[in-house]
Amino acid sequence: MFWHNFKFAFKTLIKNRELIFWTLAFPFILALLFNLAFARLHDYDVFEAFDIAIVNDESYQNAIGIKSAYSALSEGDEKIFNIKYASREDADKMLENEEIEGYVYIADGQIHVAVKTNGTNQTVLATVSEQISQSVVMVEDIVATDIQRSGGQEINIPEIAAKAMKIVSEAEPNVKDESRVMNIVSIEFFTLVAMACMQGAMISSEMMDRSLPNITNRGKRVSIAPTRKSVIVGSNLLAGYLLLFVSVTLLILFTRFVLGIEYGSNIALMLLVAVVGSLTSTMMGMFLSVFLKAKSGAKQVIVLVVTMVGCLFAGMFGGMKNYFDEALPFVNKISPVGLITDGFYSLYYYDDISRYVVNIVSLLVIAAIFFALSVRSLRRNRYDSV
Amino acid sequence: MKNVIEVKHLTKSYKSNKAVDDLSFEVKEGEILGLLGPNGSGKTTTMNCILALLKFDEGKIKIFGEEMAPDAYETKAKIGVVFQEVAVFDELTVYGNIEYFCGLYIEDKTTRAQYVEDALKLVGLEENRNQYPKQLSGGLLRRLNIACGIAHKPKLIFLDEPTVAVDPQSRNNILEGIKKLRDDGATIIYTTHYMEEVEILCDRVIILDHGKIIASGTNDELKALAKIEEKVTVEVAELSPKQLGGFEKIKNVAEVSYENGVLKVVYGKGKNNLAEMIEYLKANRISYSRIFAERPTLNDVFLELTGKELRD
Repeated sequence: MFWHNFKFAFKTLIKNRELIFWTLAFPFILALLFNLAFARLHDYDVFEAFDIAIVNDESYQNAIGIKSAYSALSEGDEKIFNIKYASREDADKMLENEEIEGYVYIADGQIHVAVKTNGTNQTVLATVSEQISQSVVMVEDIVATDIQRSGGQEINIPEIAAKAMKIVSEAEPNVKDESRVMNIVSIEFFTLVAMACMQGAMISSEMMDRSLPNITNRGKRVSIAPTRKSVIVGSNLLAGYLLLFVSVTLLILFTRFVLGIEYGSNIALMLLVAVVGSLTSTMMGMFLSVFLKAKSGAKQVIVLVVTMVGCLFAGMFGGMKNYFDEALPFVNKISPVGLITDGFYSLYYYDDISRYVVNIVSLLVIAAIFFALSVRSLRRNRYDSV
Repeated sequence: MKNVIEVKHLTKSYKSNKAVDDLSFEVKEGEILGLLGPNGSGKTTTMNCILALLKFDEGKIKIFGEEMAPDAYETKAKIGVVFQEVAVFDELTVYGNIEYFCGLYIEDKTTRAQYVEDALKLVGLEENRNQYPKQLSGGLLRRLNIACGIAHKPKLIFLDEPTVAVDPQSRNNILEGIKKLRDDGATIIYTTHYMEEVEILCDRVIILDHGKIIASGTNDELKALAKIEEKVTVEVAELSPKQLGGFEKIKNVAEVSYENGVLKVVYGKGKNNLAEMIEYLKANRISYSRIFAERPTLNDVFLELTGKELRD
């Protein structure tokens, strides 16, 4: 019975033109449009340095590593920033008067970026600042660990300095090489894949709707059949999940190998994001269907809105990921779109997969919560109204 | 005959509104039981409670001697339901839809294929097998809806207003199909607000209003409740008040009304009422264009019991 239902569920899904368009075709179309839109960015031979301000207070003066990093990025032929040093008030005024693209200040040992508008330069400033921040944290960790290990013995300063230099030099290409503009483009595509994943909630919501007697007439018909609800729901969701996973995988492969978007070198981990992202999306659709007694069109709109807002926070539409990470840090930590995007982002930017693992585990936790709540509700056998 | 369904003291409320109020009845094996009542009388709610789709406040429901429950899979396997709303997949053909729903009951592919063919034949959709639901007319779509509900050859069939918004040809086809299902041994619960269908099809009728049984019995038993023997209708261009008063004095006449040139005379009892009326009209030199007599309908029963029309 499971495979009978699975077969027909899959068959009806791939023939549902509206659903197929929004969940499968639309992301491919967007990918092509993004590629056209960002093609010009690839053609930039020279990246022009832009004006920023740094709040030159005591905190900045004490942050030696940060200070030297910004200094390095404002010198030479490949400089990124033209830096003006100012007080916080003056920096605010310059930003207000649009004399600078943004400014940087240090508070509690962390780099903070202030921007007024949303654009490529602002994103470059935010991206670079985050990388500086990451590098400084890593250097501090290593120094602290080495000092601790020395256990009161003489500290090998040249060795620690060498390690720190290595980290800084390895981090440098990310902010200095010619792919820096491409990095912003990558985020757009990462959010696009995340969007494709989450739009899949429309599929699972539709698949659940047809299993529930209080939502659809087909649900009534299925519910009076001598087939367990778990079999119907399970086979329907599996059909939806497989279709979504295949489509997201194809989108990743298309953007990677046809459009040339970089995801990092580990293809298995890249595809694992698709596996887990599609699962989270499927569970979200299940949850929506179970708890929202509305027509499927209304649910599709909700999925679309949730996804697009998630995309905005995750960096689509102009690359504001870092801005939102700073302004509303919790949003991208609980938004599946943010987590999927960050999963790809961390694969691409960092060799260490700890941040990637956090994203994957967070997605699995969200999926588990959606699943548990849905199952709890589904276990009721009769309905108040149908 | 065995009871296929036993409903005892079924009560179901939606907030403060009692949709079904202490309903008790049985359905005998092999009969067609009509649940008749106006919209909102509780017919569909009763059916959904019996099918274990709806929670209910009180009562016991047994089907084939077993208490009905959502996980009573053996019982469910013997039941077929045709819901009021069409419930098919637009993405599947006529054949595909029937095959899918039949497949939820019948695992063996060969048997299933034969059952699908039988269902197509029963509802007269053999030539439409490769069409999609959107290519079908309203009547054909209703037939498909029926085929999806009964293809697995259930022993007990619930039909919830299957002929709503159906053309006369499809309606006849559907009614013939239902008779055939009964002839093949199925027990049928038929809910409708079309009294004509109940009179044609049903062996026994339960009339519901506001969730309560207001009458039950065979067609003849129910009609006896209407206290009407015959209704004679006469098309008369003009009648004076004196002439109209004369009709009320005719033997066995219970009620007389005259409106828009139509005279309606209701006889409480008696035979040869039509012939006597013709004699009366001739004797009193009242000219008329048309005259006919009718037996009481279930609507008259409903009117007698509730004071309102069945379709109000």
